[in-house]
Amino acid sequence: MTNPRLAFLFIAPALLFLLAVLGWPLVQAVILSFQNVGVIGSAGTFVGFDNYAAVLGGSGFWRAFGRSVVWVVANAVVQTAVALGVALILNQKFPGVRIARTWIILTWIVPTVVVVIIWRWLLSTSGGMVNPLLIQFGIIDRPVGFFATREGAMTTLVMINSWRWFPFVALMMLAGLTRIPGDLYEAARIDGASAWKRFTRITWPLLQPTLIVLGVVGTLLSFNVFDVIWLLTAGGPSQATQTLPVLIYETAFKGYRLSEAATISVLTSLLLMGFALVATRAMTASEEAR
Amino acid sequence: MKRTLPQSLALFSGLGLIVLLIGLPFWWVMTGSIKLPKEIISRDPTMFPRSFTLQHFDKLFQSTDFPAYLLNSLGVALFSTAFTVALALPAAYAFFRMEFPGRAALYRLILLTYAFPTVVVLIPIYGLFAKFGLIDTRTSLVIVNIAFALPFSIWMMRSFLASVPREIEEAAIVDGAPARVILLRIMAPLIAPGIASVAIFTFIASWTEYLFASVLIVSDARRTIPVGFAGIIGQYQIDWGLLLAGATIATIPVVILFAFVGRWFVAGLTEGAVK
Repeated sequence: MTNPRLAFLFIAPALLFLLAVLGWPLVQAVILSFQNVGVIGSAGTFVGFDNYAAVLGGSGFWRAFGRSVVWVVANAVVQTAVALGVALILNQKFPGVRIARTWIILTWIVPTVVVVIIWRWLLSTSGGMVNPLLIQFGIIDRPVGFFATREGAMTTLVMINSWRWFPFVALMMLAGLTRIPGDLYEAARIDGASAWKRFTRITWPLLQPTLIVLGVVGTLLSFNVFDVIWLLTAGGPSQATQTLPVLIYETAFKGYRLSEAATISVLTSLLLMGFALVATRAMTASEEAR
Repeated sequence: MKRTLPQSLALFSGLGLIVLLIGLPFWWVMTGSIKLPKEIISRDPTMFPRSFTLQHFDKLFQSTDFPAYLLNSLGVALFSTAFTVALALPAAYAFFRMEFPGRAALYRLILLTYAFPTVVVLIPIYGLFAKFGLIDTRTSLVIVNIAFALPFSIWMMRSFLASVPREIEEAAIVDGAPARVILLRIMAPLIAPGIASVAIFTFIASWTEYLFASVLIVSDARRTIPVGFAGIIGQYQIDWGLLLAGATIATIPVVILFAFVGRWFVAGLTEGAVK
């Protein structure tokens, strides 16, 4: 159908909405980052790149950036590994497979605050289930505070966030798996290929496009996670879990340094958009190569 | 394909592990919400409740604003969902079935909005909404929820539209049907599962949104579940019974919704989203 005017008419509402609610504020954030503003709504003075120099010259931004990278990579590794296993299982035929596929996503559909309460309680040292269970299995010999140490807090958060997201990732992988033609496996079986061979020679390579898409989407989603971290550790202990979104929130709404927060926001956006652009380029390139 | 016994064993133990991994935490929370406080914090946690009480639910509904949070969340999520679908459907149709200059660039732009951290626009949006008197209104939450859900919704609807054979549309075009009619009368019913998927996605995203709801809403009575609930956590010195009851109640609406339309949603994710 070729009717550009009509097409624009169809797109305009969504586009205008996005421009007004996301585009314009983004422009405002950029303006704010070149000003010196403390209170929302107050007029600022133009300070050039002072904010950028301050943020990039300080250690807070870079530390939070490092934590964000650790956060994203750890989540990607844990979620991909677990989700792949789950997807391979759910790709089998067995009674109740549909119910299983539908209900694994339960962890993703409940509000984060529920996830937070579930895990705070299960991990708590009074009444929690996890400590007694670990003791019973002889993994630890006395209750541990999961959020007490720096490494412990980060690890625990990654586990909880992964618990929340792996079903979603698993379903996306399942989508990739179901598109692999079954006769490929039949042929391989007739040729006497072992299960492991079939996985490494057929499943893994043909799953690559799906994994790449998931890698991009998953990275952006994990990066943006705020509420799980904020509600469980508020960035602590001693800033060990303060990723970039947490740093932005704290700078703006605890420290009331709006310009600085806007500057970190703009830098963060540039990082993510750069990543997204490179990744989508790579994606379309690999699609064309196929 | 026949499975050997070890293969079956591996499959079903794996499956059991998944069920436990997801089900056990929920089981503990739901059963915990009906235990007496003494049993909840007992040193030897019980798998099956030995006591029974509804006092936590009673307290939740009598002495907190929880019922109001529940209604606010429902209202915000329903409105966000309706508007998102209404905006995403024509946009997705235009992007994937119509030709116009700048199509690829515009589409990439929309996908890019998915990339930046939402916290980035928090401060400017606060300023913008303050100007229009939208602070402390549920409308403000509906507006941001739509904006956050739109890019993914358009993307998700794409594959469903693509799955409709072109001949069906072409027949309608030959008959002289205007695009609006083709979209609403022919395409919409055909991609009903896709619309349902987008609706569920938006509903859940709105139902769980915390960051903007915590900043844009000031008065207690207008809070949504995520924020109101987070407030209860601090307000009452860790009354686990109360929190577990709240978690149970907050879970139930999504579970009911999912029981009805979950299969469509999962089909939408698995058949559509990665294409």
